[in-house]
Amino acid sequence: MNTIVNDRINEKILYHELDSGLKIYFMPKPGFVKKYAVFTTNYGSIDNVFVPIGESDPIEVPEGIAHFLEHKLFEEEEANIFDKFSKLGAYVNASTSFNQTSYLFYTTDYFYDCLELLIKFVQSPYLTDENVEKEKGIIAQEIRMYEDNPKWRVFFNCLKAMYINHPIKIDIAGTVESINTITKELLYKSYNTFYHPSNMVLFVVGDLSFDEIIETVKKSEKIYEKTDFTVERIFEEEPKQISQKIIEEKMYVSTPLFYIGFKDYDLGLEGKESIKKDIVTNMILDMLFTPSSEFFNDLYNEGLIDSNFGAYYTGKKTYGHSLIVGQSEVPEKVHQRVVDLFSQNPADILIDDDFERLKKKNLGSFLMGFNSIEFIANNFTDLYFDKFNLLDYLDVLESISFEDLLNRFKEHFTPDNIVLSIVRPS
Amino acid sequence: MEFNNKRIKLGNGIYLNLIQTSKFKSNLLSYYFVRPLKREEVTKNSLVPLVLKRGTEALNTSIQIEKEFEEMYGANYSSAVNKRGERHIIRFTAEWANGEYLNNSELNFKVIDLLRSVIYNPYLEDGVFKKDYVNQEKENHRVRIESKINDKRSYAVNRCIEEMCKYEDFSIYPLGYVEDIDSIDEKNLYEQYIDLLNTSQIEIFYVGNYDDKIESHLISSNKIERENVAEIPRENVVVSVKQKNMINEKLDVNQGKIVIGYRTGIPFEDKLYNGLLIANDILGGGPNSKLFKNVREAESLAYYVSSTIIKYKSIMLVDGGIEFANYHKTVDIINKQLGLLKEGIFTDDDIEISKKSIKTSTESIGDSIFLISEFFLSQIIAKDKRSLEEMISDFNQVTREDIIKAASNITIDTIYFMNSSN
Repeated sequence: MNTIVNDRINEKILYHELDSGLKIYFMPKPGFVKKYAVFTTNYGSIDNVFVPIGESDPIEVPEGIAHFLEHKLFEEEEANIFDKFSKLGAYVNASTSFNQTSYLFYTTDYFYDCLELLIKFVQSPYLTDENVEKEKGIIAQEIRMYEDNPKWRVFFNCLKAMYINHPIKIDIAGTVESINTITKELLYKSYNTFYHPSNMVLFVVGDLSFDEIIETVKKSEKIYEKTDFTVERIFEEEPKQISQKIIEEKMYVSTPLFYIGFKDYDLGLEGKESIKKDIVTNMILDMLFTPSSEFFNDLYNEGLIDSNFGAYYTGKKTYGHSLIVGQSEVPEKVHQRVVDLFSQNPADILIDDDFERLKKKNLGSFLMGFNSIEFIANNFTDLYFDKFNLLDYLDVLESISFEDLLNRFKEHFTPDNIVLSIVRPS
Repeated sequence: MEFNNKRIKLGNGIYLNLIQTSKFKSNLLSYYFVRPLKREEVTKNSLVPLVLKRGTEALNTSIQIEKEFEEMYGANYSSAVNKRGERHIIRFTAEWANGEYLNNSELNFKVIDLLRSVIYNPYLEDGVFKKDYVNQEKENHRVRIESKINDKRSYAVNRCIEEMCKYEDFSIYPLGYVEDIDSIDEKNLYEQYIDLLNTSQIEIFYVGNYDDKIESHLISSNKIERENVAEIPRENVVVSVKQKNMINEKLDVNQGKIVIGYRTGIPFEDKLYNGLLIANDILGGGPNSKLFKNVREAESLAYYVSSTIIKYKSIMLVDGGIEFANYHKTVDIINKQLGLLKEGIFTDDDIEISKKSIKTSTESIGDSIFLISEFFLSQIIAKDKRSLEEMISDFNQVTREDIIKAASNITIDTIYFMNSSN
């Protein structure tokens, strides 16, 4: 058992690796009633071309299969897994993102019983032709729900405009057509490739005993051969250019919604380097597009934007983008103003005082995040597969200089990598 | 877990509620202004926070206010307007990092004073709100109200309530109405704001670590002499359904949204109300509920389907997203499942599962600084003195007979269906 301590924020994380290769991380939260566990595989919607375990040639699987598998793991031979968790008073759920699939529960009692259930149900898929077929109707309705969600559409269209080959432009749930081609065999193939303990992580947070957590997982987990196998994921080369400058869709909305995206070409980073880039880019965006910025206030006072306006950067090893989001009667005007803004010299618009203030803000926000066991678990897991420990965040934050912002500004925000996505009233 | 809380009267209808806890890495301060939900003031009330955010006496522009909050280690300011039953509630909140972690003992006082000045010392010109600010925020508010159609699920729920409660104040949309915006100006909005300060019930909550200095500062800065506050009458609970409604609305959408509104006639003060909450949970609470199992899992008709109780009006709503063509099939299953509940065809396991689920969500309130303040506010509004433990223990007393009796009162009133215009 090992411990990582951060005295400044008075938090620690314990970790331990089992013989199967599964790593368990635990953050004690004395005094909290809720206990939370999240079991995550490093497998998401973008992993759609890979070499299946035991084979030598890559295959391309149908869009939406990682998410489909997430739904199906809740199926058991005798009983529905929801029933078992419900009987213990626990809330169980799961989610699929571009990079990960997570299975989680929270409870106030019977934590170790629930943990046993979690490990067992994720490690024992029960798929039949019939239950795979049954899920298609349910997921079709989930897809339809997203089709009616203008915020989701404007976001995905923006990704479509930015990316040429990268599967991030594919909707996480797939399409009604693509999920209809999913079979039991394909699901097992994906499962066996990506759900090995060495490709997964378990994170637990709450007022609990780590010894008992380890014991519970040991007795619950299936026997796995320890393996050096790493999944070969294949990504077609993504050109350093965008797919289209403008993308539009008409929907039943009141006011046009827009996303302005800047595609990131500085990729392939991991660990501290990757997080540093993330924080630097987000600081630039905060400096320029939050309500404390001149730009925001100019546009707000001119009636071009309202309080539904913001920007953030998100990125991983194979993709990354800055997104500026809002609603406006004249999205093209907002887009033009953003283009004009970034054509200026960064030294003229990024201000040192703002930089110091934003560092303080980030410090406070990070501290406050530790009030929420969901924040801790989700962020820890998200960063874990980027080879970064959440508790090191403040060190990286403090290592950032104003110079870093100036350099990143010039490199990432150019007239060539910008796209505009609009959803207009039909 | 019991909370260590104090309630101090600061003036007519003004209370300071202090909840001492060292569990969190932040502190929270919230002001709740509680009003009757009335068509004639709802639009103005929800516009007030937007104008207040534009400037204070000392900080004339919103950019200055924003910078000040950021300077305080990113203190989170937020305001919200919603309804609880037939009350209109305007909330102002600041949450900020605990100064102990930042070696900054003055931080608490700074944030407390800034939040107070946003609410009580707005930037004025000629004794009223600044005209430009009001005009800009009127426009933003119009867009905000119109945006309700963007979220189809909540729009559908709202439309069902609107139709079902046509003759009750509960049908009023908490953000107000586009057609009422034009007549608002800087003068009449300022008058409404003064009225808010003078006649609303004001509940102030501080959750976090505090000492005598902070307590006396909160008391002295919020003590106000004022006239009596108007009492808000208890909502009327409609018991019988005179006429069933069916609304079929055609919109340009890909998925049908069904919302069914029921009257239960069981006031929350009634002992049987706990039985109703459990009946609702068995019917459509979580993934173990009858609707989830039969509409979603058995028939693959929906991705989401659930039921909820609106406490102050004793209304139950069932909502789901389905293929347009499956409307009748879905309604039949919902009717059948409610029928089985009324006949007592459910297991003791179902009851236990619901009790445990309610226990878990009730206990979890103590892990969220925001939910703690919201919980105390609910208790004050409902004149309910019970602690979380007492509430859980009352749920545990509920019997099978209580559930059947409560369910037998559930009567269908309105069906709203969002249909395809194609």
